[in-house]
This record gives sequence, C-alpha cells and structure tokens, in this order.
Amino acid sequence: MNSDSADLKRRERFDRVVSVLHKDLYRYAAWLSRDPGVAEEVVQEALLRAWKSLDALREDSAAKSWLLTIVRRENARYFERKRLETVDIDSLTPGQEAMLAETEDANLATMREAIFRLDDDYREPLVLQVLMGHSTREIAELMGIKPGAVLTRLHRARLKLKDEVEKEAAA
Amino acid sequence: MSASGNSMNCENYREAIAADPSESFEGGAEHAATCGLCSAYKAEMRALDATIRNALAIDVPELKIPDLPPIGEDDQVVNLPFRRGPRLTTPAWIGIAASFALAAVIGVQFFGAPSSPDDQLLAEQVLAHLDHEPWALQLSNVAVPDERFNRVVNPSIGTMDRNVGLVSYAQTCIINGRAIPHLVIQGEKGPVTLLLMPDEMVSGAVTVTGESVAGVILPHGDGSIAIIGEREERIEELGKRVVDSVEWSI
Repeated sequence: MNSDSADLKRRERFDRVVSVLHKDLYRYAAWLSRDPGVAEEVVQEALLRAWKSLDALREDSAAKSWLLTIVRRENARYFERKRLETVDIDSLTPGQEAMLAETEDANLATMREAIFRLDDDYREPLVLQVLMGHSTREIAELMGIKPGAVLTRLHRARLKLKDEVEKEAAA
Repeated sequence: MSASGNSMNCENYREAIAADPSESFEGGAEHAATCGLCSAYKAEMRALDATIRNALAIDVPELKIPDLPPIGEDDQVVNLPFRRGPRLTTPAWIGIAASFALAAVIGVQFFGAPSSPDDQLLAEQVLAHLDHEPWALQLSNVAVPDERFNRVVNPSIGTMDRNVGLVSYAQTCIINGRAIPHLVIQGEKGPVTLLLMPDEMVSGAVTVTGESVAGVILPHGDGSIAIIGEREERIEELGKRVVDSVEWSI
C-alpha cells in the first residue's frame, strides 16, 4: 500500500468513527464543562489529538471509550489553561442560558437545570451511564475510581434529582 | 432479609435500583417480583431516568472537523496549545519548597542539554516523590498480581509490556496534580523506579542524579517516563526497553 492510499484509509477511518460519535462527544463535553462554547473548543482539541493518536486505537469497537477519555482529558486541560476551577452557575453565559432553555417542556427544563447544578462528581457518572450507556466498570475505569464509588455517586445523584423535581412540582 | 424472603432487602434494593435502574445487579429482579412497593419504586426510577435521558440530550451543533495535520511529518504537526505548569495551591508551594530543600541536601544535578524550568521542576517532584515512598525500593522476586498491575496501568493511561522486568511494586501516585502509575521493577543492580507520566512533556532527556540514585526522564509521545535506579544501574539501556514497552492510550 503506498503512503497516499494509507493516508486516505486513515482519514476515512477517522471520519467514520467521528461522524458516528460526534453527538456523544459534544454532549459529554457540554455536561462536563456546563458550557456549550467550551464544549465546542474541547471537542475540536480532542479531535486533533485523536487524529494524531488514531493508530493507538486498535479496534473501532473501542472508539467510544477511547474518544470519551480524550474529551475528558481535554476538558481538564482546558480548565487548567484557563485557571478556572468551576463554572459560576449563578452567572450564566448566553450559551449556558440557551443550553438550559432549549426545551419548552417545563418538566424537562426543571430536570435539565437540576442536572446542571449537580456536583461534577455526581453529574459525570450519570451522563456516562444514562447517555453513553457505560457500565459501572467502564465508568470506574474512565473516572479512575472504584465501582463501589460509582454506584454510590449514581444513587446519590438520582436522589438529588428526584428531590429537586419534587420540590419544583410542589412549589 | 426482606419480608418476601429474598436475600436482598428493600433498602439494599432501592439503593441498587437508584444506582442502576436497568436492574443488572444480582438478585434485583427476584426481589422486585415479590415486593410490590419496590417494584413501584423501580418504575418511579425508570420514569425519572427517562426524563434524565431526555434532559441530557441537548441540541448538538453541526460537526466541524478541524484542519488535520499530516501524520509523520513532525514539523507540520500542529502542537496543541498546552503545556501545563504546576498547580500552585498553597500546599503545592510547600511541597515544591520542600523538594528544593531536599534537592539541596542530596545534591541533585541535571546533565546534558540545559533543561527548561518546567523540566527541572518535574525532576524535582519526581525525586521528592521517591523520597516519600522509600518502602517501594526493595529487592524482591515477587511480582505484583496482574489485577493490581492492570488497575494501576489501566486503559485510560495505556499499556505496558510486563516482560520489561519483574514489577515488584505498582501504585497510583500523584505527580504534578495528576494520577500516574508508579512502578518498581527489579534491575541488574537493584530496584528501579518507573513513573509513567502520559501528560508530562519534557523538552528532551533530563538526567537526574541524587546522592545514591541516578536516572533519566525520557520524552515519550506527549508524555514522559522517569526511570531511576541505583547509580550502577545501566539506565540508558533499560530506559530504551521501558520506553519501547509503553504505549499511551492517547
């Protein structure tokens, strides 16, 4: 195989993997950072890094976990570069306001805001489980914590959300 | 024991179903089948999860693939705008000050090409870390179990060919605020420390020498690997084997 052909195959593989997983990558980045603008930057950086490291991905079936790991690291790097510890959730950017106001369904809006206000430690495993379909073991590996800790966080996250939704309904 | 006679009681079940509404845990389905209240709680959790799923599914902008650099032409590869400095919280300052004090005592030296301040800071932290875990440096002919090794060198970090040497110690440690694998292999002259640092770039090989140890931090991909052993150890040869044995996941 000549190098042009190899390059083409590499690019085709990259495009295939990214087109399938793009929505997941963006949503994961958006819920990690709680900012659509940051999420777009993080995903762009992650795609560049993935392109450079594509040969490390042996099986396309492992692409989702691999790419989510890259997004997670890029998100951490972004906040280190900016020297930001957290997003100020009481002072939303227009992008964040738009993210929360996407739906006209009041219940959905309440839930979205409740998720937005969850601690990072609770929000991330919830996103990985509910949206990404990760198992407890996969979440534990990605986050570098024990499976028991994952289950505890998921349990607490749901109880917090349930509580928030019930409070809002009673108000 | 629940009233229904299953080994899982209602409290256990509700904790488990709130953590995993798919009910993939052992004994869950059996308990719910015999407990009406828990079965109702499961339905409530699944309804909650459906709302969570919809709430998480925010609109996604159109995919924009960045300009991708040619591969294999280093001078054309786009450098990601990242070079992390240390996170200078108050305890970190204390740690850094302590490591400089330690360096003064044991006489750390850097050889070869002049190292950048970041490289030197990393080398200081590596040496200070060794000083914090002296018990790791023991002669041994017992390898750590595969389970422990795989937990420390996990897929989010990368892979390492264990044939590089007998790994007698494996621990996840913090260097520069990041969790990294700290391994010890048995070298020809004694224990050799390996610190696998996928996110710590160095500008070139940084040779580090302490009072009784010698080593090097070698660049590897976008990260680096510290290899530090007895002064008599042939680190150069070992270093190459170690670097060849490690592949970052990213």
